[in-house]
Amino acid sequence: MQEQPVVKGPVTGPAVNPAAAQAFATRSQAITPSASPGNGNSYHRTGGLLSSMGQPSPAQTIMPVGVIAPTQSQPLLAPNMPGGAAAGAMPVMGTMAPVSNPRRVDPFGLPVVSPQTDVWSQAWPDTAQAAVGGYGAYAGQVGYAPPAYQPPPGLQKSAGNAKKRKKRRVPIWARVILVLVLIILLAGGAGAYYYETNFAAPVANITGQVVPRMKGDVNPNQNSTSGGGDILSGGRINILLLGSDTDQKFNGDFLAQTDIVVTIDPQTKYVGMLSIPRDTWLNAAGGYGMMKLDQAYGRGGVGLSRATIYQDFGIPINYYGWVGLDGFIKVVNTVNGVDIDAFHPITDDNYPDDRAGSKNQYAYMRLYIAPGPQHMNGDTALEYVRSRHADLVGDFGRSQRQQQLLSALKLKLNNPSIVSELPQLANDLNGYVKTDMQLTDVFKLMNFARTINQSQIKQVVLDGQYSHTVGSYPTAYGPQDIVVLNCAAVIPVIAQMFGLGDQARCDTGISSTGKPTSTAVATVTSPASTAAPAFAGPVSSDSVWQVAQQMTEVNGLSYSDGSSSLMGMRSLLDLLCMTVFESPIGMQA
Amino acid sequence: MKNRVSFRVAFLLVLVALAVQGCLGIGGSSNQGNFKPENTGNGQKISVNQATQAVFKGKIYFTQGRNLLVLDGSRTVKQLTHGEDVRDPAVSPDGKWIAFDVRYGDYANLVYMSVNGGPQHVIISGNGHYWTNSGGFPQDDFYWFGQPAWSDNSHLAFLSDFQKNFDWAQLGGDFASAPFVDMQIFSISITHTNLTGAEGKADSQIVAYADYGDGGDRDPMYRPGHPSQIIYTHYTYDKTGTNQVIQLYLEDANAIAQHPTMYSPGVEGSGLDPAVALTPPNVECIEPAFSPNGNWIAYIRRNPSTNSMGLYVMPVPSGDLTSNPNSPTTQKAALASYPESSLIMQGQFIGQPVWSPDGKQIAFLSYNNNEFDIWLANVSLNAKTNQYAMQGSPIQLTQGGVDADSRPFWTP
Repeated sequence: MQEQPVVKGPVTGPAVNPAAAQAFATRSQAITPSASPGNGNSYHRTGGLLSSMGQPSPAQTIMPVGVIAPTQSQPLLAPNMPGGAAAGAMPVMGTMAPVSNPRRVDPFGLPVVSPQTDVWSQAWPDTAQAAVGGYGAYAGQVGYAPPAYQPPPGLQKSAGNAKKRKKRRVPIWARVILVLVLIILLAGGAGAYYYETNFAAPVANITGQVVPRMKGDVNPNQNSTSGGGDILSGGRINILLLGSDTDQKFNGDFLAQTDIVVTIDPQTKYVGMLSIPRDTWLNAAGGYGMMKLDQAYGRGGVGLSRATIYQDFGIPINYYGWVGLDGFIKVVNTVNGVDIDAFHPITDDNYPDDRAGSKNQYAYMRLYIAPGPQHMNGDTALEYVRSRHADLVGDFGRSQRQQQLLSALKLKLNNPSIVSELPQLANDLNGYVKTDMQLTDVFKLMNFARTINQSQIKQVVLDGQYSHTVGSYPTAYGPQDIVVLNCAAVIPVIAQMFGLGDQARCDTGISSTGKPTSTAVATVTSPASTAAPAFAGPVSSDSVWQVAQQMTEVNGLSYSDGSSSLMGMRSLLDLLCMTVFESPIGMQA
Repeated sequence: MKNRVSFRVAFLLVLVALAVQGCLGIGGSSNQGNFKPENTGNGQKISVNQATQAVFKGKIYFTQGRNLLVLDGSRTVKQLTHGEDVRDPAVSPDGKWIAFDVRYGDYANLVYMSVNGGPQHVIISGNGHYWTNSGGFPQDDFYWFGQPAWSDNSHLAFLSDFQKNFDWAQLGGDFASAPFVDMQIFSISITHTNLTGAEGKADSQIVAYADYGDGGDRDPMYRPGHPSQIIYTHYTYDKTGTNQVIQLYLEDANAIAQHPTMYSPGVEGSGLDPAVALTPPNVECIEPAFSPNGNWIAYIRRNPSTNSMGLYVMPVPSGDLTSNPNSPTTQKAALASYPESSLIMQGQFIGQPVWSPDGKQIAFLSYNNNEFDIWLANVSLNAKTNQYAMQGSPIQLTQGGVDADSRPFWTP
């Protein structure tokens, strides 16, 4: 043995063990007793070697690297331990004598120190036997007598206790499970936070947007299981889809360019879609008089449109969905556009210029989209799928283009990088999609729609076969072109599609000659009764936890094609596309 | 023991990092080449491959973000237009002028300017207005122009819908109320400028008719060494009116003008045809480009079975194909070279091929990493097989995306 290094100051034990001194020399850190000398149960790491080779002060006692010093709130040294409550003496890790107390283990496998536990020997059991008590010392630090820690007899370790302690150590697999549980809990918390901050508000602003019914408008949901049950568990449901150009149109004096009634019989899996031209001349409900269907929306929003369709056709509406076309553009732009090989040149002199910013909602604009591979932004993509005059084969060619765009959009949505864009997608839909259905209802409906053979969906447009156009007809808004329905042809279609039987109606105020009657051509007057507000807000309390619960449920389900539901955004995109395309193809987004 | 635990932890961390990297799509394919960003000042980024494999001679004109750019053999980029919607550049044979079309909402202008930029000369303005049409959709006299192609230093062929209120209206029915706007090919002298649409229509000569209902004609290009011959893509429907037919046609550019009563636009197969098909009707072939010597055609073929597109090169059929295009013998001869087409390369989206002036390279647009860029293929003619083949691998020339619906142009 060489010279024994000595630490000046309070020495409570024998000289330091050389091995312990060497270990200390290689991983030294200073520990500062935070309390006054004599309160040795609280230490803070100060880092580095002793600043001085002189006598360490109580503030310069030493602790090896890599161990967080005990704090006042979590004492590691019992007050009755020598060097603990006594003076500022600090035991060197790995130099303590074994203790007899078995170590307790916390749920995560970390040592829990009882007042009777020797933490230092537990932390470095491999060196515990090598150094017995006392402070460590620096190699070559001559003349210092390291303070040593001499545990009381009751804390002496024995070989048998050590074996016992080893046997009681938590197995690795248990620790792994515990860590995984911790990770899952943390991930769940983070997920809940993610829902709340990114999706709760948009989804709450999109779904559950109940609009009060006007007087005389029957609510078919009153006698059904809806309102808590599965939307598909009952009988036939009819959904009114309305499309406008901008989010501003949901609450203001605006028009609805798209009016579609979808009927679904969950039991027979029958799906029908009735597209009513926006210029259809109808007798608006509530005493508003004769006007075009899109004007009815402008006068009374969802409530008046829904009531008018029930009054004039006998079709009870269970739910509605409203879409702003700009939402589609935003979605496509959020995914950085779509890349498409356009089948052929798209040329159209009469594409509706009805988007936001248009000076005249009845105006037209011209299109010329080149054929071949190309990148399309949201505006071009919308034009590509909406143009009606670019194909000799009419809507068949249009359907092909819609299918093509949906495939391209699906590719973008299936890209893992879209995860980072989901909050933006939610914001894109916020204000551009509204429905009185809940998110889970939309999800179930769209998932159900995917199980339907698209070719078997009955689709009727009340165009030239069921109506004719009257040009420059005098209306309250000035001379306008209107579409007059041929009720004799319309009623059988409605009766069959919606299962109405003799309840089907075609009350359009048109005479038997097919022309508007003088009484029917009433100008738009004040309604006999005050119309219901266009929008009454969500029926629920918008609880973010309700929304999160919905989304959890939605994401717990899976699409028939196995693709992700993207936090429920895919279902809302389906609704958006179906309305924008005016086609069931939109359900395949 | 501790070292082993640390090693395990490190190993697990590496695995987790790799998994996260894979899930997030970090990393991916590395670009082959040395791409140097060029400051075009148009708000978009474009980088040019400086590697020796990407060497080319001459200048390539193209558009990015609807701005006209030129990339020269030193692989530097210069922007020639700013803030306009420019498409389809084409340089005159003497290399002085560049023609293109500029879009303005409902119409386009056909313009030309110096190849170095500067003031633009509007040949025809497509501006117009809508007017009401009782009982039908509003009508208008706006016009589109597109894809100019020089026949000589003073005449251009171009696409337009000049005929929409005339030819189609004569057909009656829905076409009169909502006219088709299928583009046809016209030619005009650039000696007159600032023409209105009506004036431009009067000054233009019809070159190729369209069959209404499928968008009309595209990709006109005069055959080098044969200035009277023009090739183009013809979009139509078959006689049933339900199946799309897209073929490459070769035509005497003066056939209709010289025989105005012989030919008429309208329905496929309804009358005599001034053009002859070079590709069969059951295969969709688009975007033809003559080689500098006029003897070969690079074109794009769609392959629905593999959902891909291919760049092909075929020889121009021999013999006189334009004097009597309605002869069965001529029509058979015109299709004779199609089976000799050789596949240069294929991919998901490939388009807009253009030959280098020396005929040793073909530039084309390809879709990779979610963007369309200019790629180069070194090609050579195999004397034994008399077919073109690609030498080596295609080389990506630009990075950052270019307008895929706008045809590039390559000059010496």
